[in-house]
Amino acid sequence: MSVYAIHKICRDVLRNHEFRAAMKSDPASAVAGHDLKPDERRALLAGDVVTLHRMGVNDFMMGYLARFESCGLNVPIFNERIRSIPH
Amino acid sequence: MAKIVAAYGLPHTPFFPSRVDQEGPQSPTGLMFAQARDSLIAAKPDVILIFDTDHYNTFFFENFPIFAIGIDEKFVGPVDEPRGGMTVYTVPSAPKLADYLHQHTVRAGYDVASLREFGCDHSVMVPLHFVNPDMRVPVIPFFISGHVPPLPPARRCFDLGREIRKALEAFPEDLRVVIIGTGSFSLEVFGPRIDPGKTDGVPDPDWVHEVCRYLDAGDTDGLIAVSNEDRLHAAGNVGGELLNWIAMLAFTDNRKPDFLVKQMENGHAYAGWRW
Repeated sequence: MSVYAIHKICRDVLRNHEFRAAMKSDPASAVAGHDLKPDERRALLAGDVVTLHRMGVNDFMMGYLARFESCGLNVPIFNERIRSIPH
Repeated sequence: MAKIVAAYGLPHTPFFPSRVDQEGPQSPTGLMFAQARDSLIAAKPDVILIFDTDHYNTFFFENFPIFAIGIDEKFVGPVDEPRGGMTVYTVPSAPKLADYLHQHTVRAGYDVASLREFGCDHSVMVPLHFVNPDMRVPVIPFFISGHVPPLPPARRCFDLGREIRKALEAFPEDLRVVIIGTGSFSLEVFGPRIDPGKTDGVPDPDWVHEVCRYLDAGDTDGLIAVSNEDRLHAAGNVGGELLNWIAMLAFTDNRKPDFLVKQMENGHAYAGWRW
């Protein structure tokens, strides 16, 4: 269920501007109350999109984290990390 | 009876409205949409039906229908802040006809969900922004799940299109109907196969050429035969949007398109059929 929780977080970054700002300035606090497993929380807060991708998180949804600069991400950083996945 | 008067295949790249605002109507993207718009307006439609893949906005992972039709007096969009910005519209719809199509398709064996009080994202609104000026023509959105496995088979999408066509042609009102299918052929968005420094990429340009060869030849059966789920995913993480074109092709009777223009840097094309 918690991959689904990460999807909801990504969607809220798009839809809820207050949450969007919090995910940029203090993401650990912003997701403190969310039901995530420790490794998921760690990967999310580190902007570790490679691990999140391997967990099954949807790439398109993760794009909102890059676009709105959540969890230390931006488009160049996201781009470099996601492209490191062999394809 | 309703009459199908034209069909179009169009892209929905979210930043195209802002790009054309900046580069002008004579830019390549502006001109390609203008060709479709002029043709569509000349067809004098009373209603547009658009086959689309929602991008997790009208639906989400808690409720993800394979097929769905919007039934309401109107809908709003885009609801997803497309990059670069664009006008948010209220689009009139045609609930009586949409309800009729819902009933017909379900009774014909297609499990089509219905939705009311909905919004649409850029995937519906970008093509409408360009080809339905001021949103004068009512629009019925028909959703096909084209991103998240498992995808519906291409043949089933085509057959569903034929069923919708059969229903339209039996609808007891004189309406002129235009069909749109929207989506890319090869495109990766925020996935491992994006281009350096970008948010997207075209991982399989050969597939774009192959799809267009089938379109240009009017060989819909050939296109369906090669468009299996693995092939669509191999063309990019939104490659399944081709299913919207395949549903639209059910209305073209294997005609060759009046125009077909590729936009290779985005992995998609613009096409139109008038009769």
